[in-house]
Amino acid sequence: MSSRRIYHLLSRLVDLRPEEASSAFLLFFYFFLIQISAYIIEPVKISLYLRWLTADRLPYAYLLSALLIGLAVALNSELLQRVRRHFYIASSLLFFIFTLVLFWFLFRLHWPWLSLIYWFWSDLFMVTSTTQFWIMVNDLYHPHQAKRLIGFLVSGGLLGGVAGALVASRLARSLGTENLLLICPALLLGCLVIIYFSRRLSQKEERTDSSRAEAGKPARSSPLATWRAIRASRYLSALAVIVALGMVVTTLVDFQFVSVVGGTFTDQDARTSFLGSFLTILLIFSYLLHILFTNRILRKAGIRVALLIAPALLLLGSVAIFFIPAVYLIHWAVFIKGTDKSLSYSLNQSVRELLYIPVPPEIKYRAKVFIDMFVSKFAKGLSSIILLVGFTLLHFNLQQISLVVIAFILGWIFLNLSITREYVNTVKRNLKIKWQDADRVIKDSLDLDLTKLIFDTLESKKRSSVLYAMNLLHLLKTEKMSPELKKILSYKADEIVARSMDAVLEARGQIFIPEIDEALEQGSLGAEVEEILSLASYQEVMKDYLDRVSKDRSQEAETSKMEVAKALGLMEAGLAVTRNLKRLLKDESPDVASYALESAARLKQREFIPLIVRHLSRPATRDVAQRTLVDYGTKIIGTLKDYLSDKDEDLNLRKAIPGILARMGTQRAADILSLELKKQEEEVATEIIEALYWLRTRHPQLHFPQELVVSEIIRLIRKSYQLIFELKEIKDKKEAGLLFQDLENSLARTLKHIFELLSLIYPLEDMTRAYQNICLGTKKSLDYSIELLDNILKKELNLYLLPLIEELPLEIRAQKCRKLLKNLEKLSPGPEPGEGKPDS
Amino acid sequence: MVISTREKNDILIVDVEGEIRRSDITDVTLHQWIKQQLERGKRKILLNFEKVDFIDSFGVGEILASYISTHNLGGKLKLVKISKKIFLIFQVTMLTKVLEIFDDEQVALESFFRE
Repeated sequence: MSSRRIYHLLSRLVDLRPEEASSAFLLFFYFFLIQISAYIIEPVKISLYLRWLTADRLPYAYLLSALLIGLAVALNSELLQRVRRHFYIASSLLFFIFTLVLFWFLFRLHWPWLSLIYWFWSDLFMVTSTTQFWIMVNDLYHPHQAKRLIGFLVSGGLLGGVAGALVASRLARSLGTENLLLICPALLLGCLVIIYFSRRLSQKEERTDSSRAEAGKPARSSPLATWRAIRASRYLSALAVIVALGMVVTTLVDFQFVSVVGGTFTDQDARTSFLGSFLTILLIFSYLLHILFTNRILRKAGIRVALLIAPALLLLGSVAIFFIPAVYLIHWAVFIKGTDKSLSYSLNQSVRELLYIPVPPEIKYRAKVFIDMFVSKFAKGLSSIILLVGFTLLHFNLQQISLVVIAFILGWIFLNLSITREYVNTVKRNLKIKWQDADRVIKDSLDLDLTKLIFDTLESKKRSSVLYAMNLLHLLKTEKMSPELKKILSYKADEIVARSMDAVLEARGQIFIPEIDEALEQGSLGAEVEEILSLASYQEVMKDYLDRVSKDRSQEAETSKMEVAKALGLMEAGLAVTRNLKRLLKDESPDVASYALESAARLKQREFIPLIVRHLSRPATRDVAQRTLVDYGTKIIGTLKDYLSDKDEDLNLRKAIPGILARMGTQRAADILSLELKKQEEEVATEIIEALYWLRTRHPQLHFPQELVVSEIIRLIRKSYQLIFELKEIKDKKEAGLLFQDLENSLARTLKHIFELLSLIYPLEDMTRAYQNICLGTKKSLDYSIELLDNILKKELNLYLLPLIEELPLEIRAQKCRKLLKNLEKLSPGPEPGEGKPDS
Repeated sequence: MVISTREKNDILIVDVEGEIRRSDITDVTLHQWIKQQLERGKRKILLNFEKVDFIDSFGVGEILASYISTHNLGGKLKLVKISKKIFLIFQVTMLTKVLEIFDDEQVALESFFRE
């Protein structure tokens, strides 16, 4: 069957992508065949053991199995490290096929103790084949993929279980118990064929990485080394304890169930009939439960809720025994055993396998084998000891055993809650920050104001000695004059520098260029100059000159006006002469205006503000005008808000204001920007969102109104959907090439804004990791980003965001968006539950 | 300032000619121009300054703002063939610690793929 046909068939049953169809199909059948074999092998094991060694000798079987499974773990860990995955699994299958035929032959010789060896072999088959199947799933899928597909894969196993149980019960009498074993090699050969085909499936990128990582260091695969590695990881330790606690609870509940059944049905045939019916119904119920709920719970409620369902129901059942009359005990036993088994076959198995997915590959497989094979067997042994002590020595009744069960369940719940947090952290560790905030990198690496001043100083050297001297003085005041800088600026610079600086540093014969000598370097010089500038007599003498120059509109006066503009900034605010700055702020020359703006930033007189604001619409002076207004500080926030809100104002002017408000860094600035965002004015929305994001990155203590932010995110999601519909419309039109590209770019910009807004109400670092990995990441990092968002965003929000992020063919993406668009209006911003709580 | 572009292997080479100074700006600054390219999806940008004679403080601000905008979108902006005098000033002001500056265009182009 072609991959396309498989996709069309399976996409009706499961949410999968075209490239996943073949792998999901093959794995489904692999698990199906493995579980049929398992459910044939299991009843043969019990039946033959009871026939040859009787129930009294069962503890020997438990003991042997628990002891030998440790050796099997060591061998499997070693093989996992040293042998290629497909070869390892294929060899194991061949081993089981060969030994099955051998057992069939040996059972004909009627050796009683052979059934003990077969018991261990059977346990080994169960645990190895299931673990190997989940290792293949881990090899192929990333967390979010697995979350979508795991329900489907588990249903393959459940169907296999039902089929195997039916085969065993129907054919046992006609074929004979031992002969049932011959069915299994044929099924396992089918698994071998699947392994052969699955070699061609593309694997996750991390396989190559892990192989590389593993090749670089000697393998430490002993059970002790694995145990140490598990202990070193909080996540894996929690996972191991969860598996162990789950196994202890299961064993204790099983014991309670068997006790109640034994007490209720004293007749052997009636008991066998009840157990047979119970198991068949249980498997069918588990299957229905699985196909109806597992996927829904995982997708809609997430891993945390899924992890809590089983312990919560078992806790309820264990408490209920204290209130149930004795006559209804069998109903209670059916409920608690049914709950435990049906959930462990369906939801619990799916969740447990999902928990392994984000574990780093260099430890994942060893840890999985160790936990699934050894820890679970060890826990079973531990529960046997608990039962032995509690029931045989202390003579506990059912209720007292329930108290023990309750204690274990409480520990289980606590660890389940704890592992959910660790799960999110483990997912995060798979998402690297791809790039640092460049603005911050520049601020950390260099002094931007100083850099600009150096350039101004050098430029002024060509224009005027007065301007140069004033810039030099300004530079000296910064106290950041390095020897290298002095060399560049100095008239007496050595020849090498002079040659390299050629035109810039070349002294133009007619202009006097001051030297940087010791006199100029004296700290008192700046103060002396400022004192002179503030002298009343100086004002009196210079008033006419300053007036005349600032009024002069000729081209020749440009340099003089720059000098005056600079000088006015060195004077005290409020002096009459500083009013000349108003004329200079209106000057057409960007160079004059730039000096005037810098001086205005120092004087901070309110009367200059309207003139400064006008420069926000001029590209040449916008940046210096923005800096000037930032220097005025928070007292002008109200004025800036008025300009921003005024739709009649120049659009470029309005667009420059959010950046100024952001750099003020106050809660009031954040509130004003948030309120402007609420107006949903498309023309300035980009600048407002970027300014809010800037505030968030620099001032994490600020708060942003969640309801308002969410409604803007919804608006942007809706806009993105429309862009996707347009993209789909024009996709096949040849003439639409450029338009298609524009729409795609617009979609990418909108996604960036969505994430900037999400950063306002969710942890900034998480959103940064997710966004960067969506933009630049591999398939793996994209999937991990989706998984991270799935765990921290509000479920509804994540649902609507998903089609914008997932790698989907355009048609399917548009189809999904169309479905979601109908419900998008209903999404109301509300408080977050628990872990996904925004941190505002 | 005159800007012309070429494209090689997904890298946008921006040939800048003239002076990058405040007084020469009409309606679109270098930073605004780079932002337009980023909006069109360009993420690898090489500014060729072979024919740039002069940069003032405004020009430096424009280069740095372009660098920030490009890097914050996960892109790369590099400079090539910058004049010795400008390079010296960049060195003194420590801009060379942040900006990647190359002498040779081919080497600069190759550097985009080495990362």
